[in-house]
Amino acid sequence: MVIKKEVIKREIAGDTILVPVGAAVYDSNGLYALNELGAFIWDMLPDVSGAEEICERVVAEYDVSPKEAMDDINEFLDTLGKLGII
Amino acid sequence: MIRRTSEPQFSTYFHSRGRALGLPIAGNFELTARCNFNCPMCYIHHSKEQIAASGRKELTAEQWLGIAESAKNNGMIFALLTGGEPLLREDFFEIYGGMKKMGLMISINTNGSLLKGEILERFLKDPPFRFNISLYGGCNETYERMCGRPVYELVKENIRTLKNAGVEVSLNLSVTPYNCGDLERIYKDAEELDVGVKMTTYMYPPVRIKGDGCEANDRLSAHDAAKYTVMWDKLRLTDEMFAQRAENMAKCISDEPLSCPMEEGEGVRCRAGSSSFWMTWDGKMLPCGLMTEPAAYPLEVGFDNAWKTIREKTAEIRMPSKCAACGYKDICGVCAAVCSAETGAFDAVPEYVCEKICETVRITQEYCSERNL
Repeated sequence: MVIKKEVIKREIAGDTILVPVGAAVYDSNGLYALNELGAFIWDMLPDVSGAEEICERVVAEYDVSPKEAMDDINEFLDTLGKLGII
Repeated sequence: MIRRTSEPQFSTYFHSRGRALGLPIAGNFELTARCNFNCPMCYIHHSKEQIAASGRKELTAEQWLGIAESAKNNGMIFALLTGGEPLLREDFFEIYGGMKKMGLMISINTNGSLLKGEILERFLKDPPFRFNISLYGGCNETYERMCGRPVYELVKENIRTLKNAGVEVSLNLSVTPYNCGDLERIYKDAEELDVGVKMTTYMYPPVRIKGDGCEANDRLSAHDAAKYTVMWDKLRLTDEMFAQRAENMAKCISDEPLSCPMEEGEGVRCRAGSSSFWMTWDGKMLPCGLMTEPAAYPLEVGFDNAWKTIREKTAEIRMPSKCAACGYKDICGVCAAVCSAETGAFDAVPEYVCEKICETVRITQEYCSERNL
């Protein structure tokens, strides 16, 4: 998947954040905070083709059903899309 | 899984985490002591000659980036680039670009006069999180009188260009005898530009430049500082809000001495030295730019050791015990830097500040009772 917006991932005191840089600063008056699953998915985004592939990896890592995982993943990807990040 | 968060929400959150864990969440980088303005109340507006005579040198871009990298590895998220006028540095964008690549949220303190041409173009392509632009008056004549440069209209135009492009801007206004007649005009212009203004009538004695040939300190008397503080409140608040402010003041203050007199003063209450640090232009780390001590030298002892020293020494600071027991303590704005700058000691009472807050309260209450607010 393609990350369109310039953001830098940082880990600070147990929190994961995305800091916008370049023109991305215009669209965000702040930063984005990721929870553990969000950070896990974020790291794989450049290497996966779509939600199904993400789901396979999430189910292999976490104790969650494919359907539950897929609901969360779709919501996450939808939010990233709305923010123009992917 | 993803949450968009804005200041001050995340700032408060990370500073509270930083304070608990001893992390330098915010770093203030005084990139230069040079300034193209010459304001009498400013603590840092050295000329090239004064810098040469001091025997000290500005840090190189490489040194600044090295300190920032170490701070980032210790948890720094926020970086303020300040001066002097930071945009005077020929290698400013080398430092700015390098820090941005580290994933820092950068704010820039500037007088706004250089935000044009190629500099402006570069910022429009890669803006900071926010510009904090200092305003020194409401017309070219006042700017000339206060800063030696008649550039108010230019600065105003530069602010408008940034705003129109969608860049975050906030304004800082320092009120002095030179510009106190411009308050209404400044307020009106800021409204028209749709930019918030943070006004202060309190000017620190310029303790940091003593000995460098800059001794001037042209600030308002405590009574006048109170008068213009209230005047600004009248401009920015409705009658109802003003009355509410007066009521809040009355709730905060107490004529009764505390039943248990304090033997020891309070410690530093702000973020200085607990989750933020200040780097002077010549490489000294301080808790805050308005203090002269405690100090540490990261280029000599390494960032981690310097930060540890600043945290430990800051934790030892105690403000006056009289302030801890004072009924006005929650509204006067006293802090360790104020005590030290006014008196030379952290634990001595800054009488100027006491006089100013008493007069501010008196005028505020008087205005309300005269109008039955």
